[in-house]
Amino acid sequence: MHNPSRSVPFVLLTPALLLFAALTLYPLARGILLSFFVTDYGFAGARFIGLENYADLLGDRFFQRASWNTVAFTLLATAGEVGLGLMLALMVNRRFPGRWIVIPSLVAPFVLSTMVVTAIWRAWFHFDFGFLNNLLRAAALPPVEWLFDPNIALLSIVLVDVWQTTPLTFLILLAGLQAIPLEVYEAARLDGASPRRMFLDMILPLLMPHIFLAALLRSIDSFKIFDKVYALTGGGPGNATETLSMYVYRLGFRFFDIGLASAAAVVMIVIAGALAAVYAARIIKGADHV
Amino acid sequence: MSSRWGWAAVAFVTAALFLLPIVWMVGTSFKPAIEYVSTSVDLFPGAPTLAHYRTLLDDGILGKVLNSLIVAVGSTGLALAAGFPAAYALARLRLPARLDIVFLLFVLLIKLSPPIVLAIPLYQVLRTFGLLDTLAGLVFVYQVYSLPFAIWMLLGFVRDVPLAYEEAAMVDGAGLGRRLATVVLPIMLPGLISTAVFLMILSWNEFLYALLFIQTPSKFTLPTYIATLITEDETFWGKLAAIGFLASLPILAVVGVVQRGLTRGFAGGLK
Repeated sequence: MHNPSRSVPFVLLTPALLLFAALTLYPLARGILLSFFVTDYGFAGARFIGLENYADLLGDRFFQRASWNTVAFTLLATAGEVGLGLMLALMVNRRFPGRWIVIPSLVAPFVLSTMVVTAIWRAWFHFDFGFLNNLLRAAALPPVEWLFDPNIALLSIVLVDVWQTTPLTFLILLAGLQAIPLEVYEAARLDGASPRRMFLDMILPLLMPHIFLAALLRSIDSFKIFDKVYALTGGGPGNATETLSMYVYRLGFRFFDIGLASAAAVVMIVIAGALAAVYAARIIKGADHV
Repeated sequence: MSSRWGWAAVAFVTAALFLLPIVWMVGTSFKPAIEYVSTSVDLFPGAPTLAHYRTLLDDGILGKVLNSLIVAVGSTGLALAAGFPAAYALARLRLPARLDIVFLLFVLLIKLSPPIVLAIPLYQVLRTFGLLDTLAGLVFVYQVYSLPFAIWMLLGFVRDVPLAYEEAAMVDGAGLGRRLATVVLPIMLPGLISTAVFLMILSWNEFLYALLFIQTPSKFTLPTYIATLITEDETFWGKLAAIGFLASLPILAVVGVVQRGLTRGFAGGLK
């Protein structure tokens, strides 16, 4: 557009740039630097050890377990949320009485604070008096150790995450379904296609970009998981549910092994950066089409 | 006709299942302890009581609400004040050497990276500035996420303002400041409001930085206060349900705004 003065854009960007510099760029650089040192706080008294923290990290079985837990959680939660979100979107994407109240009901869990969500489910998971086990007992089924069985605890956290964030994938996929032109349905109907064939051959391919976006956004977010693990299991039993965020927290803020924790944080940034790059490529590609 | 009603029945049962934990929370907040420390599956209280809400008042819950409000309003205000000019510059003005793309990619990377990765150096930054264990410190560190979010969302709304309106104002001799105040801001007001609502929710719900950077219990925000109750390993469910219900009321009230904004804010990159 018009170009009043070369400095104007920078004047407008200054407040944001200052905040970024102090709160993001500097901490980012400092964190990367710290990962090459042995230190329990800052650089005073720190000893440079090169890549040793990274070598220690790769050999640390707690780090290996946390990486595996994070990958398992991310895959399970994303698959569950996209699958369930798709079913809900298909369910709502047609006219029926009372639709106006069904949609906000399905969205409600997403707006609750994660800590409120966690409070509810921690009570529901209680072995003796929790709502879930009460239901199981009422149905004459054996109660489950939702949070204290190492084989189940991670799945319980996935369940909470699915309940809380499926609304997001549901809304994205519903928007995608509504963007499909009515002619597509009409043409399929005229061809006499069965609902199943219509879904697999016509709807699903058109919906793919939205499914991909929903899965990408959910995996980026699941990868960060901290709050639920912290308040539901604390990473336990043992370290059966410790994720990478919990691992960095435990090392950095409980054991004050700042160097090692920083190295783990750098590894997380690299992974998040790779996911962000996929997302960015998607956006740039999308913009090219417009 | 009957298939429409059958479909509606399925949809209603599904919606009810999704709402069940929330209904349980509201019901439990009015139950005496003897009703929920039990094996009953009743959702609603047999002998309703306000005891949990009274306990919360005695525990100084209003102070935590106030802390949460201060941080939410402060961080939202700061993010909008710094984010709006930046979004305008990125959307409308020419930056040399594709700096706008570089800047946006950086914003995106931060927006998508896990909050824990900056926690250790941020702790040290806050300590240097004497902002550790202060609400002002939280207002600042929340910019790590609020600012990218604000820029990202406002960018779309600025682009929606027709260029012709601004050019007409320019012909009338309006400078940049006047154009922003009299043309751009009024047109994008709805967008500004929904961005503000999202920023408030973001801050209202934030947990990790509040946990790490605030130590004094009287300065806790609602999520950290709830976390201390959850992890105490007692069945304070009535109290937890009451506080959860109170903390959710302001957000449930704006669920419509959220629903519209979500499809825009997150799916916006896909056109």
